[in-house]
Amino acid sequence: MTKKILVACGAGIATSTVVANRVENLIKDNHVDAEIEQCKITEVKSKQSGADLIVSTTILPTKYDIPAVIATAYISGVGMDKLDAKILSYLN
Amino acid sequence: MSIQQFINKELIFTKLNFNSQRELFHYLYDKAKQGGFVTDDFLSRLTEREKIFPTGLKLGKNNVAIPHTDAECVTKEFIAIATLNTPVLFRLMDNNAEQADVSLVFMLGLNNPHNQLEVLQELVGMIQDGAKVNQLVQSSSREEMYQALNGAALRK
Repeated sequence: MTKKILVACGAGIATSTVVANRVENLIKDNHVDAEIEQCKITEVKSKQSGADLIVSTTILPTKYDIPAVIATAYISGVGMDKLDAKILSYLN
Repeated sequence: MSIQQFINKELIFTKLNFNSQRELFHYLYDKAKQGGFVTDDFLSRLTEREKIFPTGLKLGKNNVAIPHTDAECVTKEFIAIATLNTPVLFRLMDNNAEQADVSLVFMLGLNNPHNQLEVLQELVGMIQDGAKVNQLVQSSSREEMYQALNGAALRK
């Protein structure tokens, strides 16, 4: 079944655009059947049902029912490989 | 589309001195407002957003911040760049309980970012390039910074 990933940032503008692209390449390269939706972190709460994973570039303002990963590494460049592995571990 | 199109010489500032993030934001807002880049509420919304979703990135040697806010506050798209003589404290993007001394600031004024993947990737690539960040931080004039941003000085 196709998994659904929510890629979120504070304003839903700048950083999630970069991260969504990175995650898209990651799932393509690893042949993961998943789709991505980009949104504001404040929208995640209402969108989480039906999704499998939250990838956020910003701090998480609340607790969610599905796993959430903070992906600032894709912006800073520090620890990107580890983050790749972590995201994949939730999708396999 | 490339980052150069978003960089205006009038929004490049080197070796600024501020006592706080508030002063820095005020200064950059004033300049952006004068140039007709932002609406009146840009400053208050930028400040508010930074409080809830901070934008500091701890990179090691030179820490960077990328403050930005909602698209509707931006009337003309821009990326303002400032280096700080005395670093200013920013809370971290992934942990607002922690702070970092930031010496390079990219203030992003984007209102259609989904179409600007390349620009944002270029920016992120720059942030991840320690030598480049160092070169920007060391720039002592607007002209030097502009050259560095255009990559000329790196192509030896």
